Amino acid sequence: MSRSQRTAAFIAGRLASVVLTIAGATLLLFLMVRLVPGDFTSVMLGPRATPELRAQITHDMGLDRSMLEQLWLFTSRAATGDFGEDVVSHRPILDIVLDVIPNTLALAFSALALALVVGIPIGVIAALRPGSWLDNGLALLSISLITTPTLVVSVILFLIFAIGLHWLPVAGAGDPGDLVDRLRHLILPSVALALGWVGYISRLVRAALLDTLAELHVRTLRAYGVSEYRIVGLYALKLALVPVVSILGIGLGDLIGSSVVVEIIFARPGIGSLIFNSIAQRNFPVVQACVVFIVAFYIVANLVVDMINALLDPRIAAGRG
Amino acid sequence: MAISLRDLSVDYTLPQGTAHALRGVSLDIRKGQMLGLVGESGSGKSTVAFALMGLLANNARVTSGTATIEGRSFDLTKRNATADLRGRGMAMIFQDPMLSLNPVFTIGTQLCEVLRRRAPGSDRKTRVAMAQDALAKVKLSNPQRRMNQYPHELSGGMRQRVVIAMALLSEPALLIADEPTTALDVTVEAQIMREIIGLRDRIGCAVLLITHSLGLVTEYCDAISVLYAGEKLESGTVKEVQRQPGHPYTRMLFDCEVPIDCERHADASENRFTVIAGELPDPRQRPPGCIFNGRCDVSFEDCAVIDPGDYPIGNHAGHSARCLRLQTP
Ligand SMILES: Nc1ncnc2c1ncn2[C@@H]1O[C@H](COP(=O)(O)OP(=O)(O)O)[C@@H](O)[C@H]1O
Ligand SMILES: [Mg+2]
Repeated sequence: MSRSQRTAAFIAGRLASVVLTIAGATLLLFLMVRLVPGDFTSVMLGPRATPELRAQITHDMGLDRSMLEQLWLFTSRAATGDFGEDVVSHRPILDIVLDVIPNTLALAFSALALALVVGIPIGVIAALRPGSWLDNGLALLSISLITTPTLVVSVILFLIFAIGLHWLPVAGAGDPGDLVDRLRHLILPSVALALGWVGYISRLVRAALLDTLAELHVRTLRAYGVSEYRIVGLYALKLALVPVVSILGIGLGDLIGSSVVVEIIFARPGIGSLIFNSIAQRNFPVVQACVVFIVAFYIVANLVVDMINALLDPRIAAGRG
Repeated sequence: MAISLRDLSVDYTLPQGTAHALRGVSLDIRKGQMLGLVGESGSGKSTVAFALMGLLANNARVTSGTATIEGRSFDLTKRNATADLRGRGMAMIFQDPMLSLNPVFTIGTQLCEVLRRRAPGSDRKTRVAMAQDALAKVKLSNPQRRMNQYPHELSGGMRQRVVIAMALLSEPALLIADEPTTALDVTVEAQIMREIIGLRDRIGCAVLLITHSLGLVTEYCDAISVLYAGEKLESGTVKEVQRQPGHPYTRMLFDCEVPIDCERHADASENRFTVIAGELPDPRQRPPGCIFNGRCDVSFEDCAVIDPGDYPIGNHAGHSARCLRLQTP
């Protein structure tokens, strides 16, 4: 097989596994959501709940049918993008989710980009002189960033820059038609979400770089007079990014998880706050739809991660990685 | 003399103490000639190479040593003394071709990187053309296609040719080849050696061939230096040393009493110490007297007490050995 054929086969194989994983995850989450204690009707209606009202809503949500029937209805509809209608707002659930997803994606990707742009250079600088005071200082900084919970970072940033200095807006995602306003609303939440990752990525990059720098091909470059900056920042870095990118793929789930906290503190509409509110109301159909999207996002992101790694390391696409 | 190395001593710091890997090693190589540096595994051959290149491990310390390369002297006790020569005045070919190229960059990129230094100011197109030309010169088939291939798509022998092409591009005054064929199939050995000879003849550089194969030395080298436990025991032209070995160790090597080539004669290395009693001296604690005393079959009382000097042999300039028996009273 030629190199492009191998790459195509690699991508096809990965796509097939994506479809299977989404199906499996959907089934699992369908069952799990039904195991959460408390039911929607009593939580939403409270003491006012009459048996008739309850029966009505239970019927509307399809909860009076058998589990198997519910599963079939859910999957067959979800496959066509139909997640039903929300009992509270009477809007299609798909619309509710699609409304907030761009906010969460903007948050997650800006945080990730920020973390990479700041974290990689910190890791490279630390690896240039291992054991130096600079390396030790950066280690201290990184570990502090990793160990400070997103909740604490969010609250501190919120208090200083939004409440104290009034530099940046306090809450929301901004005026939908005003790009500048939306970006201003994005700054604090994405910094809050990114800081832990800056520390994490810089440590990963440093460790992977030092491992790579001990390999023999680095000695070849040194023997031919290639500058240490080019060796570390180009030749070793490309190789060191492979494990870093792999771990990022796994960590994306954590990123979405942390975005729940950030979205709630900054009162940002997003999939995190939507899930949080829906669980509080036991509004299963909405939770279900949200989680399907998160699972899909997670899997697609990991697919992208594998593709990036196949681009970074030709041995992966050749099946020898 | 194009290249001379004087009095090189290297220590390695270990948690258990300081290991003296080299003690007062001197070498001379003429322009256009090939010197074979032979010795058992662990005798310090690679340490000589990396001390010259300035690429020793972090726990290494050069306690003495001067290199003279094309009239310029370098104090090797200073870290990076020869940094300026890397890829220009000196080039190196390594023992493990499977591991000596970066797996995620193409052959072409890595060759062109060498040219950034050797031909500064040249544009990309010129560098690509030069790199491709070098691949053709080391007889790598289909050089144009190789430029865009990654190391894993090439065999060990082909990768070694790529490193030889790097050396060719850097046009060194001194080429160091550290066991360039040890990791390769015996059938490719002759081809790789031919390319190294070809490179030397093209550039007219001096070559330091590090090997534990006496066969390679007698076949390809002009001169030989024998290293044992960090000391140079004998040196001279291959012809002279082979005709009249001055040191008992050299004689044993040529008589095949000591299997020097452990990897290839795994069965022979089993009974190595039954052939010659004794063990390699502890590199942390140099015994007094001759370093080879423990394994020598012709030693006498003085050998355990007196440090031998390098005594000349016959009337051939440059042939000398470190054995008390050669001392003229
Ligand atoms: N980085 C190091 N730290 C400690 N000891 C080392 C190191 N590198 C080599 N040595 C020791 O120095 C001696 C010479 O090693 P080397 O030059 O690699 O020998 P050769 O190339 O002849 O096999 C050996 O005893 C080896 O164990
Ligand atoms: Mg060696």
